[in-house]
Amino acid sequence: MKTRKRLIVSFLLPAGLVYLAFFLVPTAWAFYYSFFDWSGFGLNMQYRGLGNYIELFRDPIFLLSLKNTLFILVVGGITVFALAFLLTVLVNSGIKGKKFFRAMVFLPNVIATIALTTLWAFIYNPSFGLLNSFFRVIGWDAGAKFTFTSYDHIFYAMLVALIWIEVGFFLVLLMAGMDKIPAEYYEAAKIEGANQWQMFTGITVPLLWDVISVGTVLYTIFALKVFEFPYAFSQITPPTTLYTVGMYLYIEGFGKRDPIYRLGYATAIGVVLLLCVVVIVLLLRRLMRREVIQY
Amino acid sequence: MSAEPVASTQSHLRQRQMDLVKKWAGHIPAYLILGLWSLFTLFAILWVMLSSLKTTRELFADVWALPGKLHFENYVKALFAADLELYFLNSLAVVLTSVVVILILAAPAAYILSRKKFKGSNLVTLLFIAGIGIPLPLLFIPLFQIMTGLKINNTLFGLGVLFVALSLPFTVYMLTSFFGSLPVELEEAAIIDGASDFQVFFRVMLPLGLPGLITAAIFNFIGLWNEYQLALVFLNNPKQSTLSLGLYSLSNGMEYTGDWTGLLAGVVIVMVPTIILYVILSERMISGITMGAVKS
Repeated sequence: MKTRKRLIVSFLLPAGLVYLAFFLVPTAWAFYYSFFDWSGFGLNMQYRGLGNYIELFRDPIFLLSLKNTLFILVVGGITVFALAFLLTVLVNSGIKGKKFFRAMVFLPNVIATIALTTLWAFIYNPSFGLLNSFFRVIGWDAGAKFTFTSYDHIFYAMLVALIWIEVGFFLVLLMAGMDKIPAEYYEAAKIEGANQWQMFTGITVPLLWDVISVGTVLYTIFALKVFEFPYAFSQITPPTTLYTVGMYLYIEGFGKRDPIYRLGYATAIGVVLLLCVVVIVLLLRRLMRREVIQY
Repeated sequence: MSAEPVASTQSHLRQRQMDLVKKWAGHIPAYLILGLWSLFTLFAILWVMLSSLKTTRELFADVWALPGKLHFENYVKALFAADLELYFLNSLAVVLTSVVVILILAAPAAYILSRKKFKGSNLVTLLFIAGIGIPLPLLFIPLFQIMTGLKINNTLFGLGVLFVALSLPFTVYMLTSFFGSLPVELEEAAIIDGASDFQVFFRVMLPLGLPGLITAAIFNFIGLWNEYQLALVFLNNPKQSTLSLGLYSLSNGMEYTGDWTGLLAGVVIVMVPTIILYVILSERMISGITMGAVKS
């Protein structure tokens, strides 16, 4: 019994300590910092109570970044899952090159964010971009003059690129789940005269429910904390229309080109983000709870 | 009499041909949509590679044109004038070391959590997994404070410590479910043979779990190689930059330097290692995503 205890302690403790010191403790500290006015590392903190939080919900830039983030979560999420489902069904429809197509759709997920944002900068750039010059060549004037990176359009342009990346991840997830569904179910349904849509809603979705629900939680976490891709997307100082909550936190805390250093305020943004994750994930788990179908 | 079987064979043949055509026709939308999607991705990557060999003037004259002459000097410039060669080595060192340390820490922990249940082990597992849901930006400021206190801010070592700590939740989760899926018979046989718990772990569990460990290693390698947000926050020292962060700074300076093809050469340099890994190991990587998320 004693050796067992020693085993548990010596195997679990190293990982546990590192995790505690550099992950859980800073998380707890974040809550504490969020109640202070704190304008720079090494400077004094001033207690503000809930002041940061009250200010946040009157801050139009924060509300904009929150709206953008929720847009990525809801509209982006629905689009990602719809496309991932569509491509999964197509890849699984008995065509050749199943593995090739899966590998191609997943490919952007292994490429550095900064490489992807540079690539999209060349696709969207209004003066020399691939899209505008393509529209010019095919003679579509309105398309050739459209500025994808303008103040009003850049967020949606970014979201399209983000969806292109994420679809691959969820395609892989859904395909793995689908591979576990026995082919006989579909054959039996076909004999009964079911069409594609009936098979999809009657067999695929219920049997994939577990995978869908895990996938939804993963996407939620991803969407709420998204920072790297939109932050690098505009190449220069990002316009506020592109802000996500994660970006606004970084900009308030560490500045862009002119540092702002509102550390307490920035941390409060992070706490709101964490609370969003907790509430939305719990809500999703509750909404998506169903009896697991054994097969 | 004699014509009949021929006719029936012919009509049978025609029927089969029709079926085949129908089957192919039915697959056209699938090939079309998947083909276009794949073509777009493939084109984008090839475009970056080809354009990185042009001069900037050529590039802006016509973004769709092929390079007239291959300007490999763009790479020499990117590597040596823009210091990407130093950043490449920095990234390689910090990412490889981090991946090894992550596995050294996570594998034993995952073994305990999947095999040696103790009082509160579920709570410990839950605490580890909870980290997956904690948004990293929340940790920027508290971690900055800790790193400054430990005097490891602005160093590659400090970045490595963060890489390890922040990769633990996902890796522990992945390995716990992988170890959990392995058969127990071999371990039991080893215990009957008188092996200690330590021996069981090193002689049975690690060799059996090797595929899972490799998958976790590739996953972490690619994720850390590609990341720039931690580097952006915790490295503010031009000598200690990672490749991704170096490229970020380079792309931010484009409005001043205008060396776009040099930037594209840098993009190729950061892409190539992970794409090569992916080409060789895509099956294993893809199985890694589903490890844990899809129960077998």
